[in-house]
Amino acid sequence: MTTLVPVTYKGGVYRHDEIMDLIEDLGGYIVQKHVMAQDVVLQSFVPRDDIDLIREVAKPLAGEVIEAPLVGTEIAVVSPSLEIHHLPHTSCDIAEYLRSAGAKTNMVGLARGFGKRIANLNDEERDVINEHDLAVYVLGSFEECIRQKFPVLRRGIHVPIIVTGAPDRETLMRIIDPPVEGYVGSIGRIMHRFKRPEELAKLDELVDEVSRTLDARRDALARDPLSVFPPRLMAIVEEQIHEVTMLTHPTPVTVQMEGLRVKLPYDMYADAVRALEVTDGVTVGDIADVTPSRMRNYILIRIKPFSETRILV
Amino acid sequence: MPPLNYFVVESPDEVGRDAYERIAADVLQDLDLIKVIDRLHIYVDPNVPIFVAAGVLRHMPRAIRVADFANVNRGENEIVLDIGDETYLAPLLQRLWLLFGKENVEQPDRFTVVLPAGVSGEEDLEQMVVANPSETLYKDVIYALQYIAPEGFKVRRQYIREGRFYYVASEDTLPADIVKRMVVPICEKMGVTL
Repeated sequence: MTTLVPVTYKGGVYRHDEIMDLIEDLGGYIVQKHVMAQDVVLQSFVPRDDIDLIREVAKPLAGEVIEAPLVGTEIAVVSPSLEIHHLPHTSCDIAEYLRSAGAKTNMVGLARGFGKRIANLNDEERDVINEHDLAVYVLGSFEECIRQKFPVLRRGIHVPIIVTGAPDRETLMRIIDPPVEGYVGSIGRIMHRFKRPEELAKLDELVDEVSRTLDARRDALARDPLSVFPPRLMAIVEEQIHEVTMLTHPTPVTVQMEGLRVKLPYDMYADAVRALEVTDGVTVGDIADVTPSRMRNYILIRIKPFSETRILV
Repeated sequence: MPPLNYFVVESPDEVGRDAYERIAADVLQDLDLIKVIDRLHIYVDPNVPIFVAAGVLRHMPRAIRVADFANVNRGENEIVLDIGDETYLAPLLQRLWLLFGKENVEQPDRFTVVLPAGVSGEEDLEQMVVANPSETLYKDVIYALQYIAPEGFKVRRQYIREGRFYYVASEDTLPADIVKRMVVPICEKMGVTL
């Protein structure tokens, strides 16, 4: 079986359709396509053995292929507050940097996240965060505040969490109990855009921490694989429900590690999605839970593992 | 950041202290207040919780007059104002319209304003006060301190008079004697009496 690896293709608009065709012909999937003026960025999964071939085809087009560990993941960047008080926001820089590593990031600003005594997390915020593959908590400068606030802000969250804050990594590890999946220290409240080398190094450290955590999850998934590879299901949804192509969202169908978010109204399209035929005689309803998302009125598809369905597409 | 004459940030949390020193420097720089503030002392303790900032202003910027940014050329039939800096053009036009009437104030291009000669009040045109930046400076200083303080510290007490200011904020209700207990000792460190 060929292994698909997440890569980012960066190149010009000119003849980029050839690259897209090539990726699809090789059995890969394009998860996200960004066209920015003259440039095109493709977030995709391609067979490991064919990366060199794509590099060769892209050479005359001045395109480059970079390994992007976070392609196909949806990450929540959670900040206790997205108020004007903190502009320019640290979480904006973090979300942007994770995007450049291939992730689809959503920023979650809590309604009542500030103040160590009054901070809390409401049910909508909790459910929205739990719909992601991973949550990055962007916390502030004081050790005492993080110690008091964090247990409240993580209540009910069962996705892996990475915590960032001004105290160093060791302090964060000491004050957070029970432990979370990752820690990046020395970030905290910064009132300017990340620009110094040590600040940018912190962002790289964060990407490493996130990919290490997600790799651990991928390893676990490899032991009990999903009934269908999410990007493949995405291709099927896009092919068969033509309304998806008319959506103006940057990612009308967002790929997650264990499912998809389809940005169509649940009430109108859930049955159509469930009835989609993935392969002969197997429908989406057989291999996945199609549920309403807490994010607007979208549809959330959670793919069941092989051990549950005994189907592998 | 060019140094203030006195700039100290105190906190029992060493990491937080460094962070707030950077935050204060960034905010003062962004809001262009470094030239205005002479001394600033910040004390922040999340355990209490309390945030105190006290300081002294350097000097209040003086009122802006027409002569500061424009040349007044008096001709036989008209007075031509040659604008050097557009910053205060809008308040200048407002003043001129009020004094001479809109129909008498012509503006052939961005940097020229023409008035008819012989209108009353033209004699001290050069000395006419157009704007007074110190009016809004108080607000700017308090805004900056509010901006520096941690977001959760919503209960606050502020004071700015005769070049001295303080700002106290907390998450909880502020005790009545907070100024005497926390602000006065900080001011003494800077050699200032409230």
